[in-house]
Amino acid sequence: MIRYMVRRLGQGLLVLFVLESLTFFLVHALPGNPFLGERKLPEHVLAQLNSLYGLDAGIWEQFFRYWKAILLHGDFGPSLVREGVQVSEIIMQAFPVSLELGCLAMLLAVVTGIPAGMLAAWRRNTRTDALLMFTAVAGICIPSFVLAPILGITLGAHVPGLSVAGWDNPLCILLPAVALGAANAAYVARLTRAGMLETLASDFVRTARAKGAGSGRILWVHALRSGLLPTVSYLGPAFAALITGSFVVESCFQVPGLGLHFVNATMDRDYFLIQGLVFCYGVLIVIANLAVDVCQAWLNPRLRA
Amino acid sequence: MSSVTSRSHGHSLLRDALQRLLRNRVATGSVVFLALMALACFVLPLFPCIASPNLTDLDHIAATSSLQHWLGTDHLGRDMLSRVLYGGRISLLVGVLSTAVAVMLGVVYGMVSGYAGGRTDAAMMRTVDVLFALPFIVVVVVFSLSIEEPCRQMTDYVVQLTGWSRDAVAPLFGLAPVFLAIGALGWLTLARIVRTQTLALREQEFVLAARSLGLSHFSILFRHIAPNLFGTVIVYTTLAVPGIILTESTLSFIGLGVKAPNSSWGTLIKEGADRLEVAPQLLVYPAIFFCLTLLALNFLGDGLRDAFDPKSAKD
Repeated sequence: MIRYMVRRLGQGLLVLFVLESLTFFLVHALPGNPFLGERKLPEHVLAQLNSLYGLDAGIWEQFFRYWKAILLHGDFGPSLVREGVQVSEIIMQAFPVSLELGCLAMLLAVVTGIPAGMLAAWRRNTRTDALLMFTAVAGICIPSFVLAPILGITLGAHVPGLSVAGWDNPLCILLPAVALGAANAAYVARLTRAGMLETLASDFVRTARAKGAGSGRILWVHALRSGLLPTVSYLGPAFAALITGSFVVESCFQVPGLGLHFVNATMDRDYFLIQGLVFCYGVLIVIANLAVDVCQAWLNPRLRA
Repeated sequence: MSSVTSRSHGHSLLRDALQRLLRNRVATGSVVFLALMALACFVLPLFPCIASPNLTDLDHIAATSSLQHWLGTDHLGRDMLSRVLYGGRISLLVGVLSTAVAVMLGVVYGMVSGYAGGRTDAAMMRTVDVLFALPFIVVVVVFSLSIEEPCRQMTDYVVQLTGWSRDAVAPLFGLAPVFLAIGALGWLTLARIVRTQTLALREQEFVLAARSLGLSHFSILFRHIAPNLFGTVIVYTTLAVPGIILTESTLSFIGLGVKAPNSSWGTLIKEGADRLEVAPQLLVYPAIFFCLTLLALNFLGDGLRDAFDPKSAKD
């Protein structure tokens, strides 16, 4: 098991390296440059800016310099657009916000999605099942950019404590978390139902039933473990995506999270910031996939070999 | 394709699936709904009863429903019904075109990877893994920014070459960055699914027979393996369309998708969300059209999956 984990970690680090390098060349291939503001800069100012940030060197030299700074000093470089701010500062400032929001959204998705999926599978082909699954499909079909403004104007504006926008009191996290978590809850419910249905039809559940195990015990003890496998493999990457923020929800609720930076940095050609953000995202993906592996080994003894 | 239809005398997979689909009331309802929606978006605006989506009626600004404007007007006095229908045109068009790009890429990539096997397969699948780990939004933004200029040049070129008016050509090429960017990333899941299927098909006797007859790899792949992937691909495609329409709308919401004066459901919803307090109908109407279409596509996809794979259906 330990050897397997180490190998998976090695593979993850390789993916991280390729991912970051790919991003490097991708953003440098973007037309335009970070210094194209509203005012066109004179040629010599542009040249000076480029040499200040080392952008005048050859692409491979920049590439090696960039990796050297990361590996030796953990330095992701300065933001090219926001003068005098380091990429790491921007990420450190925005990440806790997105982390908090993402965790709550994930929690909401799990505590509503899994029981709903289990109930639907247990009562399959009944009205309960149809109603739950209809709600789930509807949850997938109502995008966050419709849900967020509607939540804001109906609940945010009228229920005391909840707010339409901002990040100043502890309750204002609630509505963005619902907007962010709704679609995930729907996916989780559907996956859980499918996984549970498959498990409930399997031989070992029939054996348990034949041995006289109660229906509650079959559902919660025997079936739940392997029935959750598809859900768990979905949750890993989904979690990484959630805690790196969502542009739509963050801009609807004016939340100062990471999601805004992903889009704005790319539009601004802020090379170092994009690369830093992708690195952060990549690290989280690798961790999430490892966590999925551990969870699956724990849930399914057959995978432990 | 041909070998699938030629088998349909007996109980072919396709015919069985079709029968099962027709028995599914939700799925057939969805087909009817989608057909009506497509008709409404593509044919209805040809008739004069629908106003031009850019015509401003200054007497009615942000009006609610009336006989003259069934769904009211927006903040510039433009007829909402007409804007929603024209927006649907763009959304559906982008959805179909992006899916076509994604499906073509995914099927070919997955088939080649699965059929080649060994190191080629491993390398191709690791590439997919890396692309999967890229934050989708960054790549779509990078991609659509990068191909904006080539698309503009292409428009100029086509205008020069054919002498058509720029207004006729520009919308299509203006959309190209959007559907190419979405399609360029949408193929990853399909490539994985198709690869798994091809791996299994490759070992079957009919492939061995084709190979011993001396057929080329190319014709084995496209004449013998591809038709057997039909069911999987059609199911995945229907389930992918709603996701892709959603992505297009998100891009338009961010301001990267369809450019004004063209509009898609995404841009209409964005405009509505900005004016939610004064005129909620500006958000509600396009959102209803949008969500119902996605709902129908999802139900159809679920129905097709159950029809093609009876095992996964209700016990």
